[in-house]
Amino acid sequence: MDILTGFGQGLLVALEPVNLLYCFIGVFLGTFIGVLPGIGSMAAISMLLPLTFHLDPTAALVMIAGVYYGAEYGGSIASVLMNIPGTPSSSITCIDGYPMARDGRAGIALFASAVASFGGGLIGMVVMAVLAPALASLALNFGPTEYFAVILLGLVAASAVSNGSPVKGIAMVVAGLMLGTVGVDITTGAERFTMGIPEMRDGVHLVIVAMGLFGVGELIVSIRANAAGAHQNAIDYARFYPSRKEWKAMAGPVWRGAGIGSFFGALPGTGQTVASAVAYAVEKKLSPNRANFGKGAIEGVAVPEAANNSATQTAFIPTLTLGVPGSASMALVIGALMMYGIVPGPRLLVDHSDLFWGLVASFLIGNVLLLILNIPMIGLWVRLLQIPYRYMYPTIIVLICVGVYSVNNNVFDIWLTLAFGWAGYLMRLFRFEPAPFLIGFVLGPMMEEQLRRAMLLSRGDASVFLTRPISGTLIAATVLLLAWSLFAAMKARRAGRPALALSDE
Amino acid sequence: MRDFLRRLRRSGETARPPHAWLGALGGLALLALSTVFVIGGLELGTGTPRRLGTGAFPVITGLALAILSLAVIAGDLRDSSEAERPDWISFAAIGAALAIFALSVGRIGLVPGVFLATVTASLPDPSLKFPGKAALGAVVALGCWGLFIGLIGLPFKPFAWN
Amino acid sequence: MKQFLLCGAAAILLAGPALAEPGKWTDEPVRIVVTFPPGGTSDLIARILAQYFESEFGQKAVVDNRPGAGGTVAADYVAQQAPDGTTLILGNNAPFTIAPTQFDSLPYDPLASFTHIAYLGASTPALFVQPDSGIASLDDYVEVARTDGITYGSSGVGSITHILGKAVDIDLGIEQIHVPYQGSAPAIQDFRAGVLEAYYDMLAQNRDLIRDGEALPIALAAPERSPLFPEIPTFRELGHDIVVENWTGLSGPAGIDPEMAATIHDTVEAVMAMQPVVDQLAEWGITHTAMSSEDFTAFVGGTIETWAPLIAAAKVNGG
Repeated sequence: MDILTGFGQGLLVALEPVNLLYCFIGVFLGTFIGVLPGIGSMAAISMLLPLTFHLDPTAALVMIAGVYYGAEYGGSIASVLMNIPGTPSSSITCIDGYPMARDGRAGIALFASAVASFGGGLIGMVVMAVLAPALASLALNFGPTEYFAVILLGLVAASAVSNGSPVKGIAMVVAGLMLGTVGVDITTGAERFTMGIPEMRDGVHLVIVAMGLFGVGELIVSIRANAAGAHQNAIDYARFYPSRKEWKAMAGPVWRGAGIGSFFGALPGTGQTVASAVAYAVEKKLSPNRANFGKGAIEGVAVPEAANNSATQTAFIPTLTLGVPGSASMALVIGALMMYGIVPGPRLLVDHSDLFWGLVASFLIGNVLLLILNIPMIGLWVRLLQIPYRYMYPTIIVLICVGVYSVNNNVFDIWLTLAFGWAGYLMRLFRFEPAPFLIGFVLGPMMEEQLRRAMLLSRGDASVFLTRPISGTLIAATVLLLAWSLFAAMKARRAGRPALALSDE
Repeated sequence: MRDFLRRLRRSGETARPPHAWLGALGGLALLALSTVFVIGGLELGTGTPRRLGTGAFPVITGLALAILSLAVIAGDLRDSSEAERPDWISFAAIGAALAIFALSVGRIGLVPGVFLATVTASLPDPSLKFPGKAALGAVVALGCWGLFIGLIGLPFKPFAWN
Repeated sequence: MKQFLLCGAAAILLAGPALAEPGKWTDEPVRIVVTFPPGGTSDLIARILAQYFESEFGQKAVVDNRPGAGGTVAADYVAQQAPDGTTLILGNNAPFTIAPTQFDSLPYDPLASFTHIAYLGASTPALFVQPDSGIASLDDYVEVARTDGITYGSSGVGSITHILGKAVDIDLGIEQIHVPYQGSAPAIQDFRAGVLEAYYDMLAQNRDLIRDGEALPIALAAPERSPLFPEIPTFRELGHDIVVENWTGLSGPAGIDPEMAATIHDTVEAVMAMQPVVDQLAEWGITHTAMSSEDFTAFVGGTIETWAPLIAAAKVNGG
């Protein structure tokens, strides 16, 4: 079908009052639930699943998609305000978003995040509409070897997002990879480092690591900081509209982030995390404002949000055309489709073209709704920061507890959160950063799985990683990025050394 | 955190020892952790290149981390900036709050669990007096009941003693 | 090789004495514990049951997903609950048939710790190969596996498709190279990308791929041919007695009052007989067979015994 007529018909479908209503319900609920630590789109979608029994498939899918990206946006609100990332990709948003909030620029950070998400979502949608078949076949060109190379690239990018020494960044990524091996080895079924605890068989849930290292760890730090009244002065809570200069600074990152995001989004599972990390790392090298990255640069909020949201849109392509869910939430989308007897697969674009185009158009509507809904809300969110911290932090800790408990309804997870929270605090004392760790932790199991599968399929020949064209190119890009980071760090050190020597004397 | 320390320093706090010893400690902790994974991985078996064993990936990453942690130690030992100031009271109180929630939520239910956890977490902040802490606990507990069980419908029991 | 499934055909005729009327069995809301995260077929069946329990019989029910450790987390949880009919588990072969052999120790006994109430149904897996590979029959497959070796994808170590692969290895005297995935979708993706030569998966879920000529099923692990694709031969017809079915049933903690268990059983049967439910399950390729609670319990015990040697074989090397 012609793209324009398809999209036009889709727009008519999406603008039907019923679909519009469910789209609104979806994004509203998603945002609201996404803000709560640990409770993400998973909980929201499974809560709505029974409701969708009574809806027509398009309305249901539109609502579920709305919940999904609404929750992504809600997650970035929690990242900015509380330094609690709901997803690994929003851990990148934390890097600059939270310092902005501490700087009294929470409003601008939230606005930047909303606008960048919108821009990214829009660009992702256009890419999805125009390139869906091409992106579906891109995913089909990716075997284990190629996935391994993509993940490697993402990991090197993740180590480059760190503000401190690059060595510490890489060390954190590798530590994440290593701890990601805890649990049952999915290739042999043998238990690794579980200490015989049945709950450890599936490893540590991502939410626990994120809540512990970021949420609990940061909270312990900030109790005394706030008791001392550290950041209660000179904050312009009311200003959340970015200046002309800030608008201009955001434009480039949004385009680049969305471009990178749309590409990686089509790779199930790895997409969003790799996209945000790579986009941030690239931006940190290119931006004229790179010196401020990690200290509250607006570009540092815009770029991962744009990347993440465009990847969220294109992630629907493998879900719908290959039936491969990139995340637990995407598995729910497949589940919802199955309720209507729609089996995701190559024929979906043809057999259910109205559904596909209705969905694409609903992304447009949903993103507009999200923007309309959230811009006025920013003032409200920022006002939350005015609540004295002595009331806020016990509430946040309880929200973390309930959020973690809701993942598996298992008390053991709370004990693990305690352990990771303490570890997160110690990491801050030792000046290690949690974001590279989290990304290593998420991508580690996938990396190992693909590595072992690739070796099995190549009958033990490791040279396939270099000789297959796509993976060879990706590995070359990885080496380039690594060399660039180390070179930049060495140059910075050489430039910094005289100054240090002076202060030492 | 670092900003805060700088501000603290300006307000006439006592000087802190350099970060070097603390940084080295962090590197040592990583080294110890990587040793555990390398030894554990070797016990699990590393397999052959064609069929990598259960222990192969832990051994590879463990060895890489061991080398990196040596580099971290070497780097941090030269770091003469001031160390962070640990806050063990908050560390303990937040840990206790999580522990109390874990112990109580299954046994006595969500509402009392949230109440106890909130009060425990609020202990290290002296600016809120005890009645205030109790009131905060009650408000948060009731709020969680309404939000998570009433509104979102999570399968938790509000009260579970019997 | 022994038959892998105790057939429940006889049970249709003896579907238990009608002691109870279908209807509400407790005033409390019932939790149906699911061993998978939301979104899979198992979760959807539980949600359908919960919905019809409430809309048709006024029995409030919620779905409680407790995924993890091959379903053993959920089974352990349910085994420890009070046998008052308020906690049930949507069980399957993972915690009940496979786990007892797969894991060295289990916190529960798959028979003694549960009241197995109602059998819901099963779907059957098939062996798929690349259509352009020149393999058109099981004999061709064996030939290629013996000369060049063949790689096949399963939905995970210890999963039903892995065990089927193992059964084929043993029965046909070949050694396929097992490549485990997490669920069948990524395995199919790699198959379509051409990196895998074969895979085992549920027949009905692969309908579109078969019709589009993207995957060629060469043998079905069911007792009889499928009405969906009557041209696909069964392993049994081809002289290999391999029947591996992916079953689902409803159970509760040990010690549920027999009268209450009978009510639950009859309510489930009543829901399973409703036309929308029948159609939905057919869509997913699940065939329901009415079974009494006693037969269902015997069925669970039977699957543990007949599958044990295969699971043990699959466990040794993961291959």
